[in-house]
Amino acid sequence: MKPVEVKTEAGKTEAGKKFFFASLSFPLFGYILKRVLIFIPTLFIISLLTFILISAAPGDPAETMLNRTSGEGQAANRLATERSYVDLRHKLGLDLPIFYFAPTNLAVSDTLLRIPIKNHREMLDRLTYQYGNWAQIENYYHQLKALDIAVISTKKDSTNADTLIELRNTVAKIFIHHEDNVLSPLLADLKTQSNSAANLTEVKAHAEATEEAYIKMKSDATPWKRYVPLVQWSGTHNQYHRWLFGEAKWFGTETDPTLGKGFIRGDYGISFFTKRPVKSVIWDGLWITMLISFLVIIIEYLISIPLGISLAVRKGSAYDSSVTVGLFLTYSLPVFWIGTMAIFFLCSPDYIEIFPPFGLGDATWDDGFFYKLGDLAYHLSLPLIIASYASFAYLSRQMRGSMLTVLGQDYIRTARAKGLPENKVIWKHAFRNSLLPIITIFASFFPALIGGSIILEFLFTIPGLGQITYAAVIQKDYPMILTNTMFAAILTLVGYLISDILYAVVDPRISYSKK
Amino acid sequence: MAEATKIKAKNEQGYWAFVNKQFRKKKTAVFSLYIVIVLAIVAVFAPFLANEKPLVCKYKGETFFPVLKDIAVGFGIGQFQPQFQNVDWKNLPYEMVVFAPVPYLPMNQDDKCIHSVGPFDTQDVPSARWKHWFGTDELGRDVLSGMIHGTKIAMTVGIVSMLIASIIGILLGSLAGFYGDENFQVSRVRLWGNLLFLFFAFFYSFGARSYDITDALGRGLGEGFIQLGISILIFTAVMVAGNLLVIVLKKIPFLGKQVAVPFDLIIMRVIEVLNSIPTLFLILLIISIVRKPNLYVIMGIIGLTGWTGIARFIRAELLKVRNLEYIEAANSLGFSNAHILFRHAIPNALSPVLISIAFGIAGAILTESTLSFLGLGPADTVTWGQLLSYARQIPQAWWLAIFPGFAIFITVTTFNLIGDGLTDAMDPRLKQ
Repeated sequence: MKPVEVKTEAGKTEAGKKFFFASLSFPLFGYILKRVLIFIPTLFIISLLTFILISAAPGDPAETMLNRTSGEGQAANRLATERSYVDLRHKLGLDLPIFYFAPTNLAVSDTLLRIPIKNHREMLDRLTYQYGNWAQIENYYHQLKALDIAVISTKKDSTNADTLIELRNTVAKIFIHHEDNVLSPLLADLKTQSNSAANLTEVKAHAEATEEAYIKMKSDATPWKRYVPLVQWSGTHNQYHRWLFGEAKWFGTETDPTLGKGFIRGDYGISFFTKRPVKSVIWDGLWITMLISFLVIIIEYLISIPLGISLAVRKGSAYDSSVTVGLFLTYSLPVFWIGTMAIFFLCSPDYIEIFPPFGLGDATWDDGFFYKLGDLAYHLSLPLIIASYASFAYLSRQMRGSMLTVLGQDYIRTARAKGLPENKVIWKHAFRNSLLPIITIFASFFPALIGGSIILEFLFTIPGLGQITYAAVIQKDYPMILTNTMFAAILTLVGYLISDILYAVVDPRISYSKK
Repeated sequence: MAEATKIKAKNEQGYWAFVNKQFRKKKTAVFSLYIVIVLAIVAVFAPFLANEKPLVCKYKGETFFPVLKDIAVGFGIGQFQPQFQNVDWKNLPYEMVVFAPVPYLPMNQDDKCIHSVGPFDTQDVPSARWKHWFGTDELGRDVLSGMIHGTKIAMTVGIVSMLIASIIGILLGSLAGFYGDENFQVSRVRLWGNLLFLFFAFFYSFGARSYDITDALGRGLGEGFIQLGISILIFTAVMVAGNLLVIVLKKIPFLGKQVAVPFDLIIMRVIEVLNSIPTLFLILLIISIVRKPNLYVIMGIIGLTGWTGIARFIRAELLKVRNLEYIEAANSLGFSNAHILFRHAIPNALSPVLISIAFGIAGAILTESTLSFLGLGPADTVTWGQLLSYARQIPQAWWLAIFPGFAIFITVTTFNLIGDGLTDAMDPRLKQ
């Protein structure tokens, strides 16, 4: 077989163009529309999946945001923090049920969600599990809270200071316990303690009321309620609905600016960590990741298609076998290793310093368009090389394989038998057909790039979507993680769509119109 | 019958002999297989290769095997002798002692070699016997020891997570491929009834007993298992009772009508959804809600997110297999669908899955090292990716960048080459 120079043929572009327009007929648009419509349920399920996963996360976001330790300080102070905590929970919608409906039982009440302090919520949940009569449990909790306030607001003097500290500790313990064998002695302690010093009449009254409520809760227990299953319907007033659709009015002007608009209207909430709107953070990063992915795809296809063809054409030669082995090895080189090594040896003053090790440069667009462009190119060159090499190896191997398959077909033999020049056989007959497999690869390739952005941007400290996600995972910044995952999924679906369209454009046999 | 068995055995032997022959033709694949065997040996014998404790020692007139003892203690058999508790193994006055080839544990800090001492730097060690051949990291931990124990982690992660992925993938993929959308027929009442019973069974076994189980688990594993056992019993009882009820209700014509369960549709949609989230994003999402990711959690996550490829593979394979004559023959002989699926269809579709498993192990090892590199891997052990990530903090420590990365590269490549070799060996197009 004669080696063929890799070059583009003049007639090809025109033929391609004609063909491209021919395929953009109505059925294709109908197909695209159909695909986009199918995205909606897929995205819906993804949003549900991610949202529920995030909701299962341990810890209380409001507590994280306020960064406070509960139950300390003076009465007024403590009430104030509790107030702000309740407000924040309300603002974040954490006092709402998670989903439209939830399997639960007769004993559980949704008022439980409005209890501000996490430890108390857990204690009350336990009590509900044990006694199953929410009305009495709530009463007990109110009495306990009143007692707590009475204790911290009682004036300290020399006679009761020690007793007050003891009382405080006892109350704090009561708040986190649910076992009867612990609570009963604690409540008894409470009584003896409040009797042991003067000026504690108010506390004493509250202590008695609490104990009374406790005994009532125990005697009126209805533990059987736990065994009655119930599907609780919360309507649209739930966290998921709020996150997805928002609470603001859909039509007309919203008077209350605090109401969110929901994910589908472009309101992604507020980052727990930076307290900035997620939207502004994400958009800053999204275009960088998009730019890098776009450039990587172009570079890869530009290199690997000609390379794969030249390998296939010279099948069995020393050139082919050596490059194929080389490609296999490059394919297996982990990106994060090669990236680390590149930063190590090519960006460090200790060895060779040709590339900047991190960031996207300080230049802004105000410094002049070309200056910024040059700076960006300088900073992006190494990340682009690192991001490209692995999948470029894979793509070339695929291209080689598919070209070989096509070259083995009968119609190629016919073309050769006709006496067509090898150049024409390759470019006119084999080329387009061999493209099909590597276009299908695009569908799996694009998500890999988006996923790979996490590693790449971590390596080179590029502030893109991947780096933002990584930071969000480290900081447990759930609104950020949720939004990033949604965006990664949307980009992936768009990638699938593009691959489908390209497929139709390249292969005339594929028709999306109904037969 | 005997004749048939013989023919079957011969055919089977024929296929595997053929695969074996084709596989052996590929030198790189065979060589990779040897490397994997070496890696497996290193993984299994890691405690004997790198350990701070002596392999054999004579101490105060008695002979001990501390490494073996250590393994036994790890399994909960026996305890260390009192004279060996909290001792500095390196400096005991032994009468005779044989240390492991690498006399360090990956987590041990050599106080004299902190701040990453390189292999060619002068090391403050008693003799060449104690040299850190691959250098140390920032905290003075021996890199070679970390790499030996890292082999254990990498192989375990690769195999266990692929095992999880294979079980899920084969099960779901074969359901989708074998039954398709039409072939799994049940009565209406059984389908909807079972969904309902599942809800009740979960409710009574786990929902209504949640704190009983967690409390018992908190008190101890034994009590926890008793409670879990009770829950499973309740679960089974509810399901059995429900299905007995179904037998009666089936008599009603409307409820007894046969409907198809669209397994293919459901499973393919699930795969589509999972594939729409880039894997690393999905894994990070799950890791973010786990309080402290340990090795088991990481293996579970990789397994749970990595089954879609295998499922699609086996689905495609079964779509082909289910139309073959022998399945038809089994059908006409009156075997049940489940019997045909598990005894005849899956075994015949399984061998190509070996290919995905080989590639999958490579992928799982790569994912684990990526996570460790990002600092999100198992926190309780030393892994290759973790060692590599230290290189980012110390620009002079080239040994931290080169050795662990090379280990990852070799392992991933060998598994990929094996997968490649298997693909070629099993490709029927070559069988001419």
